[in-house]
Amino acid sequence: MRTTDILIEIRDSNLSYLMLAQQMIRSDKPAAIFRLGISEAIANLLDSLSNAQVIKLASGASMLTRFRFDDAAVLGMLTHDKKERSLSQPHSAILLAAQAVNDIH
Amino acid sequence: MAKKEKLIANEPRDILLAIDLINNGARLQVLEIETTLSRDRLIKLYKELQGVSPPKGMLPFSTDWFLTWQPNIHVSLFILIKKQLEASAGLSGIAAISKAYQIYLEQIPPEPGQDPVLSFTRAWTLVRFLSSSMLSSTDCKKCGGEFIIRPRGGFRYVCGLCQPPSRAGKTRKLALANAVPGSALA
Repeated sequence: MRTTDILIEIRDSNLSYLMLAQQMIRSDKPAAIFRLGISEAIANLLDSLSNAQVIKLASGASMLTRFRFDDAAVLGMLTHDKKERSLSQPHSAILLAAQAVNDIH
Repeated sequence: MAKKEKLIANEPRDILLAIDLINNGARLQVLEIETTLSRDRLIKLYKELQGVSPPKGMLPFSTDWFLTWQPNIHVSLFILIKKQLEASAGLSGIAAISKAYQIYLEQIPPEPGQDPVLSFTRAWTLVRFLSSSMLSSTDCKKCGGEFIIRPRGGFRYVCGLCQPPSRAGKTRKLALANAVPGSALA
C-alpha cells in the first residue's frame, strides 16, 4: 500500500468515525458515551460540530481514534487463549467497560 | 428508598417509566417501588402490555445466584455498564438501571428463542444487594476486570473468565454449534 493510499484511508476512517459518532450521540447519548468510551464533554462537543468542522477535523494525516486495549498482556490473553468464543466476547466487554470506568475516576 | 410524593404532574412520566420497565420484563414489585402509580393501575397496565397478569410470588432474595459462574459474568458486565453510565453519562437511579440493562442485552445477546441469563428484575435486585452491602465487587488480579463477589471476599481474587471451571461453556448445545462450520455463535 502506497503512502498516499494510506493517508486517504486514514481520512476516510476518521470521517466515518466522526459521522457514526455524531449519529450515535444524537440518537441515544448515554448509550453512545458507553459504546464509544468517551466522556460526556467530548460527546457534547462532537454533537455540536458542523459538517464543515467534521470534515476539517477528519482530514488530518493521523488517526483520530486509538486502540482501546492498550495493555498487551490483557490483549494477548483475549486473543491467544484457547477460549471458546462464547467466553472471550463477554470478557472483552467486561474489560472495556471496566477500563472506561477506571479512566473516569 | 425515599417515599416519592404523588403528583399528578409526575404521572405521565411514571406511566412511561412503567411501560419501559414492563417491556424490559420487570416484576410488579419493581414497578411499585420505582413509580408512584397505584397497584391496581400497574396491574392493568401490565395486562395491557403483556396480555397476561403479572406473575405472583416473592422476588428472588438469595445472593448465591449472582456468584455462580455464568450469571456472575453477566451481572458483573451489567454493573460495569451501569457504573459507567452513572460516571460519564450523568444517569442515576432507575434510569441508569434501565439503560444499562438495554446495553447489557446488546453486549451479550441471548441465544435466539431463549431468555437472557440476567433478567431485568434480577438486575434491579442486584443493585439493591450492592447498595445494602450484601454483595460487593473487586478487581480480578489477572485481567483487571471488575467482578461481583461476596462482601469482604476480595483477597487475591481471580475471575471466572481467567480461570473458568473445567466444564465451562462446554454444554452439548455449544458443542453442536461448534461442530457445524460457519454456524453463528453469539
